[in-house]
Amino acid sequence: MEDILTIKDLSKSYKNVRAIQHLDLEICEGQAYGILGPNGSGKTTTLSIITGIIRQDSGTFEWFGKHPRPDQRRSIGSLIETPHFYPYLNLVRNLKIICDIKGIPYDDIDRVLETSKLSERKRSRFSTLSLGMKQRLGIAAALLGDPKVLVLDEPTNGLDPEGIAEVREIVIEQVQKGKTLILASHILSEVERICSHVAILKKGELLASGPVRELLAEEEIIEVACNNNQLLEEKLAGSELVKEIETENGKLVLTLNEKVMPADINAFAFSNKLVIHHMLSRKKSLESQFLELVR
Amino acid sequence: MRKLIHIEQIKLLNYNPFRITIGIYFVAFALGLLIYPAVDKEIPVISLSDLFRFPDVWMFLTWVTEPYNVMLALIVIMITTKEFSDHTFKTQVVFGLSRTELLLQKMLSIGVLALFATLLLGLTSLTLGLIYSYKLTFKIAMENTWILGRYLIASFTYMSFGLLVALLVKNTALSLLTFLALRVFVDPVLFLLLRKYEIKWYLPMRTTTRLTPVPDLIEIFQRRVNSEEPIDESAIELLPKGLPAWLNVLMVLLFTSISIYFSYRLLQRRKFT
Repeated sequence: MEDILTIKDLSKSYKNVRAIQHLDLEICEGQAYGILGPNGSGKTTTLSIITGIIRQDSGTFEWFGKHPRPDQRRSIGSLIETPHFYPYLNLVRNLKIICDIKGIPYDDIDRVLETSKLSERKRSRFSTLSLGMKQRLGIAAALLGDPKVLVLDEPTNGLDPEGIAEVREIVIEQVQKGKTLILASHILSEVERICSHVAILKKGELLASGPVRELLAEEEIIEVACNNNQLLEEKLAGSELVKEIETENGKLVLTLNEKVMPADINAFAFSNKLVIHHMLSRKKSLESQFLELVR
Repeated sequence: MRKLIHIEQIKLLNYNPFRITIGIYFVAFALGLLIYPAVDKEIPVISLSDLFRFPDVWMFLTWVTEPYNVMLALIVIMITTKEFSDHTFKTQVVFGLSRTELLLQKMLSIGVLALFATLLLGLTSLTLGLIYSYKLTFKIAMENTWILGRYLIASFTYMSFGLLVALLVKNTALSLLTFLALRVFVDPVLFLLLRKYEIKWYLPMRTTTRLTPVPDLIEIFQRRVNSEEPIDESAIELLPKGLPAWLNVLMVLLFTSISIYFSYRLLQRRKFT
């Protein structure tokens, strides 16, 4: 697989605030890479650096295995935060400017307006669009020229549920077409649904990165219920079988220690004369994994 | 290059404030020139129409229309600060324009506007010259047309200063005020403060203004009355001398280059939000 983006030891500070610190990341062709992190974690700063809006203090990044050049950005579709276009120009004229920058023919404009469901408003001025439409126009502009890579920063920010669904649908469609996606988002379920890989940032530091499946499969979680939950909780707390015990809707949610299998819990309960009548192996959600990492 | 011109064309020709300001510039230019023939009727002894004859018309109109360059600089400020307020510099960079291309884009607009202003001046001078001249030979008509080249430089320089101020200040109202303050207040005050020193002729705005100097009116009127008497030296002293023409042009080119360089540096360093 071709290297799309390689970030090495990237750092950026704003006065006394360290926005990103020694960030390393490698994104390959066809990956849908989610960048997660709380506010101020450095997601937008990272994307702003790789799209040329700001400069890093130190470290390097490469697009397609080469040093960054402005013309490389022409083969990348980007939407960084809120899309900004000329408010007095209509959608077609705004997209013509992007076509001129990217050096592509105007024929593609109708296609991207169709994809983003904006064909009916193509003669409307940008200033007259709703937030959702503006966001969709941003995506339409990013799709011009059918780029191999999409860089989207919070594409569903500020949208109503319908708008979120529409934008998500467009993004999923592009991922299914095999495009490489770099997506920064607050919405964990969105990243979990769209992305194959994820990087979790906190205060500019990379806490974890890798395939979503691997990140979630690191710890086994099971949900159990028995004839005496309280006693089972006490017994398990004193054992070395579990890492964490939580109570949820009258059931115990157990995070198992490494190499401990659900059958071991069953055997443990049985040896303590407790009968488990409910046991469910549960995948850890990205949200719980994320919260655990950033806390 | 063509791509950048086309982008600017889409942006500017569809931007109403730009169209209106250019319209006002055009009307002001025409009205300003119409005033002179009207004033001429009120002055019985000296005929101002002499100034509209070849070859003096080139010098006179260039001098008269020089302040209109300030208006062009204000247009450049307006279109540049608009990019900041609409965050469209950021959009263009994200989609693949380099920061150098952003500057080049604006410099091309400045170049086109300067050519437009010079062409307008040239055509007006030619028309008035053809209307008012008695003797008409190609040689006489084309004499002094070199001043158009200086007008082009002056126009380009004013707009380059405007661009620098816009990139520095970013806010439209503040940039316009800063530029006008420099032209109307700072330059004259500095000139007065430095009146005893030769350096006063090296002030950026002053050297640019003096690219299109006051025509030698005394010589023109003397020619009109066919006087054999030598020109009164004390009258000539009324006209400020300033730098030699070649040095003046050189200084203006230097200031233009400095202004473009700083604009480049500013664009390279700006964080587009």
